Amino acid sequence: MKIVKLLLLLTVSGIGVAATVMYSGVVNVAADEPHSDLVYWLLEETRENSIKKAAQVIIVPDLSEPELLLTGGIDYEFMCSSCHLKPGQSESDMSIGLYPTPPNLTLSIEELVGHEHEDDQQASRKSFWVIKHGIKASGMPAWGKTHDDERIWAMVAFIKRLPTLTKEQYQILTAIE
Amino acid sequence: MKTNLIKTASKLALVLIPAIFLSIAANAHDPSMHVKKAGKADCSKMDHSKMDMKDPVAIAMMKKCMKQSETDKKSMKNIDHSKMKGMDQSKMKDMDHSKMEKPENKTNQKDAHNH
Repeated sequence: MKIVKLLLLLTVSGIGVAATVMYSGVVNVAADEPHSDLVYWLLEETRENSIKKAAQVIIVPDLSEPELLLTGGIDYEFMCSSCHLKPGQSESDMSIGLYPTPPNLTLSIEELVGHEHEDDQQASRKSFWVIKHGIKASGMPAWGKTHDDERIWAMVAFIKRLPTLTKEQYQILTAIE
Repeated sequence: MKTNLIKTASKLALVLIPAIFLSIAANAHDPSMHVKKAGKADCSKMDHSKMDMKDPVAIAMMKKCMKQSETDKKSMKNIDHSKMKGMDQSKMKDMDHSKMEKPENKTNQKDAHNH
């Protein structure tokens, strides 16, 4: 009986603390004020594990078809480059202003700081899932609501090759026909 | 009275001029960064000798540039010279019209990317 009372007390005080934090307005939601290291770690771990679990069942098609680079390139230029940058660019208004900072996709997986190193297939699965479903409260939209899987895979194919592209190659691949 | 006015004006200038300069510096942001430049592919910089023709990137680039040059040729053929202002029609006599494509071959170019 004592344990039940204790658990009840803990639950009520937990709800009380949560409500106080919520309604007092003490939490700073400004994007120009970074999270504490602990909060950042908690959110990032939650996000990474969620994506990993959700993406593990996705079957990766053949992404070596050149035509995919043309379709994916144009979509990348219009939908992604303002945040995830293009060859020769190190920052943009969006990449500076968004928090968490969107990953610079012109860098290879090895160069990306704070991102788990994974195999090629897993990276493709994750890219597909993130492009299709987006990420809550991060600025990453769910492109799957307006784009079919075929087009999203084309973007994944393009993103895979993006770190190897020169400025000139990027310009040709992403230009409007 | 006049000297007081000049003193006030110079004080105001001392405050306002740096303030204006500082605000300009804060807004010194190139608006062209916000303009989406959806240009044509610049194929002139393509170095064929360095290209690995088995690489999907090289193949995709070649496809894009070939398609673009075909489109450019077609659009040139469909130009109606008679409607051009200031054109010397007498010099057009030597043109071999039999080799020109007829207007019914005109293709409607669609915007490749609609959102």
